Amino acid sequence: MLDHTEMLDTVAVYALGALPRADAAAVAAHLKTCPECREEYRLLAPAADSLALSAEAKPSDLLKVRIMKAVRQRDLPVTRAGRPFVWPVYLVAAACFALALVSTIGNISLRDQLQLSRAQVAVLTTHTNSAEHSLAEQKLMLADVMSSSARRYPVADGQVIKSGDRLYIAVHDLPAPPKGHVYQAWTHEPGSKAMTPSITFAPDRDGLAVVSVPQHGSVDAVAISVEPDGGSKAPTTKPTFIAKIG
Amino acid sequence: MERVRARDASAFETLYDAYNRLVYGVALRMLGDAAAAEDVTQAVFMKLWSSPAAFLDGNFAAWIARVARNRSLDALRTRAVHSQVELPESMPIEEKIEDVAFAHLNADKVRSALLRLPNEQREPIELGFFNGITHEEIARRTGIPLGTVKTRIRAGLRRLRSELDGLVAV
Repeated sequence: MLDHTEMLDTVAVYALGALPRADAAAVAAHLKTCPECREEYRLLAPAADSLALSAEAKPSDLLKVRIMKAVRQRDLPVTRAGRPFVWPVYLVAAACFALALVSTIGNISLRDQLQLSRAQVAVLTTHTNSAEHSLAEQKLMLADVMSSSARRYPVADGQVIKSGDRLYIAVHDLPAPPKGHVYQAWTHEPGSKAMTPSITFAPDRDGLAVVSVPQHGSVDAVAISVEPDGGSKAPTTKPTFIAKIG
Repeated sequence: MERVRARDASAFETLYDAYNRLVYGVALRMLGDAAAAEDVTQAVFMKLWSSPAAFLDGNFAAWIARVARNRSLDALRTRAVHSQVELPESMPIEEKIEDVAFAHLNADKVRSALLRLPNEQREPIELGFFNGITHEEIARRTGIPLGTVKTRIRAGLRRLRSELDGLVAV
């Protein structure tokens, strides 16, 4: 049993961060009940923390370049699990597309702009798994996915995006479905007891998929599941995700 | 920090410019290896960027220095250097510790204050802070009784606190 002077000495070691973990936990508990020791900690902890300043040293300039590059590559919100994820390819592509449009809109004719848009969209189709969409549909989809006013519903590795009356599923890192299978989207209408089958799709080889989900009325949930080629009338596997949307 | 939480890369860059010397310095002093210290520095700042909510409140410099110290301790552990210590990155008591003085300090002031400590106090303090070892290991390495080590650490921190208070007009 420590006398109190010895306890105060131990608090100092705790403030320095030089106690074994078990002892540190005991001191932390003691601080909650002992005003004298707590006051000692309040006095000494800033002095201990200040020791870090004495070590200041300059790293190489290249370190900043490395870190800022990594930061800009991660420049997206944190996922549910607190894990940062890389800026999805579809958003990068959409951003490039949007920037290209913005930067050129002031000095090229509408015809030139349309040609540029077509060129950009041609590139994007390699990333968006919807090569059969018309140019107008592509542009609308990209505008919706990028829209700041769109409502976004996070799902595992992606989002369900609602822009006006249009719905999209944008996911990355989606595993390829088993051979002979595809992913199928499902929608749910308020009051309905069943999911309504929707579009089938497969991610590209990078696990990326951006699909427009047709809807024929009010929808309060969107899901995807793995289904046999051609799709199913009702889900036959556990959904990869179900997103409730408002 | 609010702007960093809002994913503002330029605000993050400003934070990096302000604190990279502190983070890198702690890591370099603890690891004695510039490349390893840069790896720790990168890990600390990337943690800040990916989990800005990890910083709750209080003095940011003190917090990020603790994170740097803990990451350096991790690196020491992977080198099989035995270390059982770890600093709490969130303050372990409910009240915020007084941190006004810390916010006004700089490296030169702390170094000069440290140099004014008697060697018998400075040595165990620096061993405990930068070497990631427990007070028991300090006693073993220096051949000083454990109780004396603890007493000297407390006396040294009190004196350091007094020296720092004298340096900062707050």
